[in-house]
Amino acid sequence: MSIKFTCDDKATLIAYLYGDIDPVARQAVDDHVAGCAACSAEVTALGHVRSELGLWAPPEAELDFQIVKKSQSQPATVLRPARWWNTVPGWTQAAAAVLVMAAGLSIANLQIKSGPDGFTVSTGWLTTASPAANQPADGTAAEQRFERALVSLEQQLRTEIRAAREQAAPVASRAAVDEATIRRVQQLINEAEQRHERALAARFVEFTRDVNLQRRADLMNISRVVGSYDEQLMRQRQMLNNVIRVSNNQQ
Amino acid sequence: MVATDEELVAKSMAGDVESFNQLVLRWERPIYALAYRVIGRDEDARDVAQETFLRAFRALPGFKGQAKFSSWLYRIALNLCRDWIRRKKRTPLVEMPEGVDVVELASEQGPVESIEDLVARQEMSRIVAEGMQKLPDEQRTAIVLKEYHGLTFQEIADLQGCPLSTVKTRLYQGLTVLRRHLESQGHDSYMSNREP
Repeated sequence: MSIKFTCDDKATLIAYLYGDIDPVARQAVDDHVAGCAACSAEVTALGHVRSELGLWAPPEAELDFQIVKKSQSQPATVLRPARWWNTVPGWTQAAAAVLVMAAGLSIANLQIKSGPDGFTVSTGWLTTASPAANQPADGTAAEQRFERALVSLEQQLRTEIRAAREQAAPVASRAAVDEATIRRVQQLINEAEQRHERALAARFVEFTRDVNLQRRADLMNISRVVGSYDEQLMRQRQMLNNVIRVSNNQQ
Repeated sequence: MVATDEELVAKSMAGDVESFNQLVLRWERPIYALAYRVIGRDEDARDVAQETFLRAFRALPGFKGQAKFSSWLYRIALNLCRDWIRRKKRTPLVEMPEGVDVVELASEQGPVESIEDLVARQEMSRIVAEGMQKLPDEQRTAIVLKEYHGLTFQEIADLQGCPLSTVKTRLYQGLTVLRRHLESQGHDSYMSNREP
């Protein structure tokens, strides 16, 4: 079955132009165009328009769109090295403070005496607080009880502090991890800086090249414009010469 | 092996954001180019492209896969372009940053192309952009989808919501207006220089 193509069938002409046409219709258009100057010229001209359209390019935009889910994004966390006092329980610290205060009290009444046996150093409120203290009485017993209580408290505190130190061992390893993290972050920062410097250098080279290209293009345009002015000037001179020559001939 | 759009869409619908970002990376340039050629402003084209992907991501659960993913994206982008043109109530403006074009053309063509050719190409690109600016929205969109995105007549008809014959008419009328515009700008001499 043959198809007849006519000049006003623009839909088929467009399909032919874009190559989106069945072979039979294509043959019909080919046959018609071979004998019709107007349609032949139109097909050629529209083909040129299409090739010119290919010159229109959008700018080279850096897009880098990204979808980021808010639930997945975590706020940045700054890791700090752990301090030992943060790991000792508060009640232990209070007990240590009491011990220090007791020790302070015990040496608060420091006395130094010189006698026939040489120097004698004594401390504590009860040893020399009153003359009655020299007598073996209830005061001595109270002092001994106080000392025993102090020793017991000291031992208890030592035990607690030892236990706290053992608990603090993982803290030391966490501090080591933190240190490694900081080193890693530092390393990443250094790498990023190096990349940035390289990119900057590349951009600079590219920019220099672009400026040179643009400058050459501008110079070309200028020389073209100047050339056209020269041509016009030359024409005007020739015209003026002709006018002068004609006027001289008439005289 | 490179995943197809359909595979990435399926993963995205299962909640894999990274797969959707691969789709974004694959299609951001064509969508931006479409928006730029339709509305003609670089910054607004970026905004339209960004909004296209955002809307696509939000509407992904409703994407049934009847159309190609790219066609679906084109539809969203074209709707946004239409909204933009309607909102701004003005003819799309085609920006031709002259300095940038020369550089781009230089980088595309390499050192073989002479400066004269570069300048001529830049000038021709500007004239083409001007001509496109003169076209009605429907004709310009049809030409952009056909020339730069290679869609079939039927795909364009689906996107524009019109019969196939209307698409061909829009293409013919648009190309004819462009032809007259190019001729009025002295394009004939340029063409004769380029012909072998």
